[in-house]
Amino acid sequence: MKAKQEKEFLGEGVSPGVVFGQALKLDKRNRAILKMHVDDVEQEARRLLDAIEQSKEQLSVLKCRLEEKIGSEHSVILDTHILILEDPTLQAEILDCIRKKHANSEWAVMQAMNRIVRAYESLEDAYFREKHNDIEDALERVIANLSGDSPFSWSNLPGDLIIVSRDFHPSAFATMDLHKVRGLVLELGGRTSHTAIISRGLRLPAVMGIRDIFPSTSTGDALLVNGDDGQVILNPTQKRMQRMRGRIEAFGTTAAYVLEKSGQTTLTRDGTPVSLRANTELPYELEAAKRCGAEGIGLFRSELLFFGHPQGLPSVQEQLRVYSKLVREMKPHPVAVRTLDAGSEKLFDGEDFPGQYNSAMGLRGIRLSLKAKDMFRSQIEAILRSGSEGNVEIVLPMISTVEEIRQARSLISEVRDSVRKTSKSRLRKVPVGAMIEVPAAVFALEVLAREADFLCVGTNDLIQYMLAVDRENPHVAYLFQPLHPTVLQCLARIADVAAKLKKPARICGEISSNPFFAVLLLGLGYTQLSMNPLSIPAIRRVLHEVSIDDSRMIADQALTFSTAREVCSYLTHAVSELVKADLGHYVREISVPDEMS
Amino acid sequence: MIRLCVEVENKLGLHARAASKLVQLASRFSSDVYLSREGANQRIDSKSILGVLMLAASKGTCLAVFIDGRDEMEAGEAIKRLFRSKFGEKE
Repeated sequence: MKAKQEKEFLGEGVSPGVVFGQALKLDKRNRAILKMHVDDVEQEARRLLDAIEQSKEQLSVLKCRLEEKIGSEHSVILDTHILILEDPTLQAEILDCIRKKHANSEWAVMQAMNRIVRAYESLEDAYFREKHNDIEDALERVIANLSGDSPFSWSNLPGDLIIVSRDFHPSAFATMDLHKVRGLVLELGGRTSHTAIISRGLRLPAVMGIRDIFPSTSTGDALLVNGDDGQVILNPTQKRMQRMRGRIEAFGTTAAYVLEKSGQTTLTRDGTPVSLRANTELPYELEAAKRCGAEGIGLFRSELLFFGHPQGLPSVQEQLRVYSKLVREMKPHPVAVRTLDAGSEKLFDGEDFPGQYNSAMGLRGIRLSLKAKDMFRSQIEAILRSGSEGNVEIVLPMISTVEEIRQARSLISEVRDSVRKTSKSRLRKVPVGAMIEVPAAVFALEVLAREADFLCVGTNDLIQYMLAVDRENPHVAYLFQPLHPTVLQCLARIADVAAKLKKPARICGEISSNPFFAVLLLGLGYTQLSMNPLSIPAIRRVLHEVSIDDSRMIADQALTFSTAREVCSYLTHAVSELVKADLGHYVREISVPDEMS
Repeated sequence: MIRLCVEVENKLGLHARAASKLVQLASRFSSDVYLSREGANQRIDSKSILGVLMLAASKGTCLAVFIDGRDEMEAGEAIKRLFRSKFGEKE
């Protein structure tokens, strides 16, 4: 057989390392389409035509609904989808593939889709070139109807797989078999994407932003992924393999090995325990938290329970189910549920609370909870009752005055008493913590901390309010500087006051998933960090190599600089000297963009 | 068999909406209806939306239409009318 042609692709190397393996293509829903041999091709052809019929019916229903809502002007796009499914040449092509190659329908549809996408991508006119998106949407619907929504089974797959996809949702990490996956190659995404951050944490070499790799690759093709240089080689020659062998062997281990090695507890080099917890929101993140050895949920964001709820607000029972599951599964570790932290405009009609323009400074967090008391009471009741399953905590967001803590605590006691009376069930004591994210809270901390059981530092909001920067506004985003000397002074002050009053203080912002920042936080006195669960193994590995004394020295020095740029250059240098692993890929997360110079 | 020439006169060209109308119309006739760009060899089936879109025909493009079958005269008239009406679009 003729050797397949070698082909080179260039993209952005977002997670370092060099690995070799075979391609596993995943579709937009992150499912694999594998080729299988079918004996009865006529039965397979009928299966395809049934799935096409079913897809057309779904589209007709969608079209009717859309027309009722917004008129027929916009439903025309669905006509195009239906016509694509009825296209006689396309159907003939897919049926031909099934009959001649004894292929399964899913694979045959995928092959036709790849060919068409390649053909459209060669068109000069941008409008027509983009039309391949409609074709993909229509055909993906057929594939979904063919295979149902069941995820594929990893157990039937061989090892040493390189995932090739257009885009990859971080949730897919939670279900994939990390013993079998060696690398990740994506058409979309970049260094700052969530998926990139997680790949680095899992030591999974990854290259993103490669145009055209998806249609050019088939499942089973040989792929060499070079995450250092952002290069991917399809069907590498023997000569190239010989040249790269040293680098492939140097990289070695799989992501699963990293997870197992990283263990379930974190000790610094001198044996100080650090508690790494998970910030979670979506259901899959609980699974990820368990796999990555999180010592609890440091922050559960409850907003998703409330947004878009069909009855307006979720019932006590509904919330109880969600919180109980978290608490039960994380047992014996604690789960901190943050009460609703949303602006009123997301939940109520403008008539209930009119005049809400600037949500960041408006009626949100604890302010809203203390106004919409029934909503707050039912959330508190659900949290308190979930305590019977294990270890739960309440976190109050947006605290800016001590009265808010007092009022919330008195409502919490009220709810506890009434639940005790009606259900006669024993309720355990549930600690109540305050989010420290408003500048006023930082300066009034001595007063606030006395009335809270623990403190959670919400770094994202704290930085935003402290520096008066909306990070979503591109004109000022460069001023969102986590290493700004003022931010460091605040973090140091919070740690000092908390230590003096013997109240636990925990960092609950994505910044603790950066290894440089994590070492700095340790040095400032924080031994509880909560972060994206999949970042935990990487941070754990780094902290194993650093002693408390090292980190204190670094923090003391970091507090002496006058610009974020100076702090960054010192911090990256000092931490890199202590840690064996190459942390170069994390520098960009904390560096100051060029607009400043 | 008949052969006729049409020009794409609407502003947006033979884009998804116009292409859909053409495919729907052509599919109503039993005759085979093929299209090609003026001067090009490749013919595409005008009952195939993917083929029609692949023509990437923008405003001003001239297309040759080949119709063969029992109802070819009727089909030819209908297709000419559709192009001339600019696919019913308000410009």
